[in-house]
Amino acid sequence: MLRGAVIGFGRMGLTHFSILNNHPEVQFVAVCDSSSFMLKNIGKYTGVETFKDYRKMIDRSGLDFVIVATPTGMHAEIVKYAIQSNLHIFVEKPFALNVQQGEELVEMLKGKKLVNQIGYVIRFNDVFIQVKKLLDAGVLGDLLTFKMEMHGPTLLKDAKSGWRSKKQEGGGCLYDFASHSIDLINYLIGVPDEITGSVLQHIHSINVEDALCSTFLYQSNLRGNLLVNWSDPSYRKPAYRFEVMGRKGKIIADLHAYKAFFREAPSFDGFTEGWNQRYITDFVKPVRFYVRGFEFTRQLDYFIDSIINATPCEMCTFEDGLKTDMMIERIVEDAAKRRA
Amino acid sequence: MDRIIFGDNQFFGINHMSEEKAQAQSERFKDINAIIKVIDTAYDCGIHAFMFNTHDRVAQLCDHFRANPEKYSDLRLYPSMPYAHKYANAVNEKGMIGALNDFVFAGRSVGQALQTVVRGGLTVIKRDMIEVMKILVDAEIRMFKGLNVKAVFLQNIITDLLLGLGAKTVFVDFANHIRSTYGVDPAFNTMNLPRLVDFLLKCGIENPIVCSSINKIGYLMNPDKPSYEKTIETKPFRPMAMSILASGAVAPKEAVEYVASQKNIRSIVFGASSKAHIQETKDMIDQHEWSIADPLTIDR
Repeated sequence: MLRGAVIGFGRMGLTHFSILNNHPEVQFVAVCDSSSFMLKNIGKYTGVETFKDYRKMIDRSGLDFVIVATPTGMHAEIVKYAIQSNLHIFVEKPFALNVQQGEELVEMLKGKKLVNQIGYVIRFNDVFIQVKKLLDAGVLGDLLTFKMEMHGPTLLKDAKSGWRSKKQEGGGCLYDFASHSIDLINYLIGVPDEITGSVLQHIHSINVEDALCSTFLYQSNLRGNLLVNWSDPSYRKPAYRFEVMGRKGKIIADLHAYKAFFREAPSFDGFTEGWNQRYITDFVKPVRFYVRGFEFTRQLDYFIDSIINATPCEMCTFEDGLKTDMMIERIVEDAAKRRA
Repeated sequence: MDRIIFGDNQFFGINHMSEEKAQAQSERFKDINAIIKVIDTAYDCGIHAFMFNTHDRVAQLCDHFRANPEKYSDLRLYPSMPYAHKYANAVNEKGMIGALNDFVFAGRSVGQALQTVVRGGLTVIKRDMIEVMKILVDAEIRMFKGLNVKAVFLQNIITDLLLGLGAKTVFVDFANHIRSTYGVDPAFNTMNLPRLVDFLLKCGIENPIVCSSINKIGYLMNPDKPSYEKTIETKPFRPMAMSILASGAVAPKEAVEYVASQKNIRSIVFGASSKAHIQETKDMIDQHEWSIADPLTIDR
């Protein structure tokens, strides 16, 4: 039985706790949060020990792993302490506030056999699992263009309070929202050689951006565009749209379905020449316990399986998180260059 | 309980299979009159039971029902609350505690708010989760005032989050609050039917109404279809089936046949937008012989 704890009991901390709390190999023993209201109620209704100081919690609880779901600004110091305490760590996205922090943490992990995972949950979405499989099989031939779009109604009026409106705590559309789609680009296509044409745009927020666009160039003849807006009231919840074209065809995907156009159909999964529509109901498998989406359970079960089986981490590692943080920093630098 | 209940997901751009379809629906039902037209079509087909999420648009619908009491004299409602996305956006802006504060105070009358002050503490921070839950429930249900409510459902995200926490007291107090304040059955939507049913029975909530996706391909049936079938066959609860078409992946005839083959299912919740689909689905459900003659008797 693995002993675990959650640090930061907001919406994601609560979700992670709920999903893993009845995992047959997991026992949650402690929760750490800054809110007395949360701690009082969590203690009362779940019976775990509660702490306001994560150091004290880690020192006293005999843990195997922690889940870090605090605002991004606190990730680095907590993860550092958890690595020093030899704990397996799942940390929410994005990894850290800046590249320097992330590099230090990745360096600290070297030589330690600790499972380390970042909450880039869309990689565990069933449609994007299929898209990755198709791209890895090379069904589109040499890639030429892609477009990653992400829109949502996350912030629809001036937010003066809350960490999402504070850059120094990891707020803003680029860090808190677009990081998912940037990670997906790294995962599906790779890190670009050049970033250009980046624009960070304010819609409601004063201190942080609400929308952005950027162009990614690769040494191969490949060009991609990133278009993100978290202040779009026409959406009910965050939505992705990924379109990629190669010499042999095209794939258009969102979280629920994808369609693929082939000039020559690959010889598997019943594909034919021309358009092929696939819905999530064609390939999704149920999960052990479902809260808010299949992918949330898949990512945590992957984390726990990696600990139990002592398998090397391959998905959403701290190194992957660092790669995304580096891209974020490059987008910020590129946008600043344009303004200067 | 009604055999056939008309659902409302199609009106609010909710489609678990396709974002494109969801978008198209959301455009079509922008106008409340477009929603009313479909509701009337269902009503005229003989479906008088409706499951509604506590969406702002539903508050408008409820005003319409109250304004036309004769037309809707046999209306039976099964509200599901809370409408989670309303809260999600507030949480993004203010954090969980800030959002809770807002909703708790928005949901209270001046008199109640004063009482709250007297009881100690202007904010939810000093209070117990259960008390906060009751205030939020009352605020959500207010839109159905004066209408014929048959059962009150806890929406699936909240049900499943609380199930994961193992918060027994919250379930028991929710059930008691719905029974004592509104005189109707508490009910639960879930994506994890087998686990929830076991849990509710352990909580001492007898013969609970539980609504979840039940379809031939096992879509949204966690952890798997066989566990659902076994639970439905052997446990003392009132199952309601939704997503029987698995967002369109199962043909209507097969879909109804599968649900009818699962003994003990009390109700089917389905949504549709055209008269042809509504009538077709209703006829298909009516054609089947259902294993429970009197849905209200507890005979297992």
